Amino acid sequence: MDSQPYQPIRPGVGMEENFLSIDDILLSHERLPVRTECVFPRLGFLEKSSDSQDIAEGTKMELPLWLSKGLYERNRKVLSIELPKVYRDGWRTVFNADPNVVDLHKMGPYYYGLGSQMLHFENPENTEIGQTLLQTFIGRFRRTMDCSQNAYNEDTSVLLERLDSLEKALFSSGQSGLNGFQSWEKGRASQLTASTLVLNYRKRKITEVQS
Amino acid sequence: MDPSEAEFLAEKETITIIPNFSLDKVFLIGGDLGPFNPGLPVDVPVWFALNLKQRQKCRIVPPAWMDVEKLEEMRDLERREGAFTPVPSPFYMELSKLLLNYASDNIPKADEIRTLVKDIWDTRIAKLRLSADRFISQMEAHARLDNLTLMEINTIRSFLLDSLNCMYRLRSNLQPGSSKDRADY
Amino acid sequence: MSDATFEDECDVNQDDSQEDVMTPAELIAKLEEAWLNEKFSPELLENKAEVVECVMEQLTHMDANLQRVKKGDMKASIHRMEIDRIRFVLSSYLRSRLQKIEKFFPHVLEKEKCRQAGEPSLLSPEEFAFAKEYYSNTEAYLKAVALKRMPPNLQTVDMLKAVPEPCLDSFVFLRAKESQENILVEPETDDQREYVVDLEEGSQHLMRYRTVAPLVSTGAVQLI
Repeated sequence: MDSQPYQPIRPGVGMEENFLSIDDILLSHERLPVRTECVFPRLGFLEKSSDSQDIAEGTKMELPLWLSKGLYERNRKVLSIELPKVYRDGWRTVFNADPNVVDLHKMGPYYYGLGSQMLHFENPENTEIGQTLLQTFIGRFRRTMDCSQNAYNEDTSVLLERLDSLEKALFSSGQSGLNGFQSWEKGRASQLTASTLVLNYRKRKITEVQS
Repeated sequence: MDPSEAEFLAEKETITIIPNFSLDKVFLIGGDLGPFNPGLPVDVPVWFALNLKQRQKCRIVPPAWMDVEKLEEMRDLERREGAFTPVPSPFYMELSKLLLNYASDNIPKADEIRTLVKDIWDTRIAKLRLSADRFISQMEAHARLDNLTLMEINTIRSFLLDSLNCMYRLRSNLQPGSSKDRADY
Repeated sequence: MSDATFEDECDVNQDDSQEDVMTPAELIAKLEEAWLNEKFSPELLENKAEVVECVMEQLTHMDANLQRVKKGDMKASIHRMEIDRIRFVLSSYLRSRLQKIEKFFPHVLEKEKCRQAGEPSLLSPEEFAFAKEYYSNTEAYLKAVALKRMPPNLQTVDMLKAVPEPCLDSFVFLRAKESQENILVEPETDDQREYVVDLEEGSQHLMRYRTVAPLVSTGAVQLI
């Protein structure tokens, strides 16, 4: 478990993002449906569907999260953000009824991360969204735990396929606990293995030689 | 923590051996060992006992709890009770593994003991998961875990602590203003 | 080999005119405590320079004595095994500190900068040098791979913001070494109320690090 040569930076999960976390960088590229609330002069080339020079007020388009966050201001209306479907009332009812039936990978895969980020934008439903995120996590916890703590030495892709990226990370920390114990019990922990850093270093050398 | 580190700590426990050699007292940094006289039982740390055993210099006296009848009682109690029952040693799992692997000829009914310890372990781990789920779903802030051992905590540590962390973050979403706005880099 | 060589160093520290006299066994126990606490606490703890120094002294001394012993001596082999075990704990302790320094380097350095004159430092001089070097290497790396190609106004990264802070609200497992009464447990949800718990000696708990952090540094609780 400690043999990882470097520690990847974890996603920030809540409203905060971790600047150097790969997961959070990917999350910031998720697209959000937005509506422009003013004219964006001379940016028409970004909007392929019209030929005009400007992006007109009231245009509906999709923007990545990082750009939406940058342009959004509470006081001055530049654009308004529409809530993605999963966070709307209809889906919230589904989540509140039984969070375990939802395929969060398909709906996400950054269901919790993006949901938390949505709270940056003013929306009367924010409290409910936050509540649903928390309750969904709690409701699915048992399943995430059981999967990760019981699946030893088997193909886990089926178990993983419906999990959100956050749950996947938890799944793998559960697995590392289980696998660590199992290999200790079988006496494999006493064998020394090369660090992955060393292994990768060797690989790189070979490719360097080949090129 | 790595399971082998838990095992390392377990190796500091003392155990009785019957040496077949003689040696004066040894003054280690961590305390004195011996003196050793053939046939006379003496208490030593497990790491030293196993080393001697591997060099065929002693016989290990298994701890009193490493006994089929006692373990059967413990297993039944563990299955009956909802809470964690007291364990015979805070390192029962590690010690069983070490002694059964390296000194099974000194332990009567070693195979039965192996199965019993595993049964006790499995029952306790099932309880541990149950309580972890309860802890999360009730959003509790404190739990008392008196009889839990290090190795047991270890199997669930990173999973449970990471999950609690995520839950904490998702909950702080609900308290606006509690987390700093870091949108502007 | 004579045991006198080993006996005479079981009383280091005693002539060291330190206020608290520790036996070597107690010293090793202190190191193990520090090791586990460091392993399990979410933040970097205060460095235990004296403990590390004393243990190092013991090890070097013992090593020197063993040099003089001929091969195959049974006592020497026992001593070597013990030395290896102690060295393992020592390196693991130092390594887990370095890992945390790597993880939180800007915050560690910031704390060091804000430290009052009389306050003890979190870092040993070597760790401080390591942290500073890690900081400048990271900065140089980011500059080389990306920042120097950015527009001039975007060429700096605020490390304090970019690197996550240690989360003191993490939960930890702990054992009470001394009884503690009236530890305030803050509520997790709005409909819960805060309450107090007593940590009886020897009892084990799961709770937030923030609540028990002061007790970890006084040694009243041990993280497990």
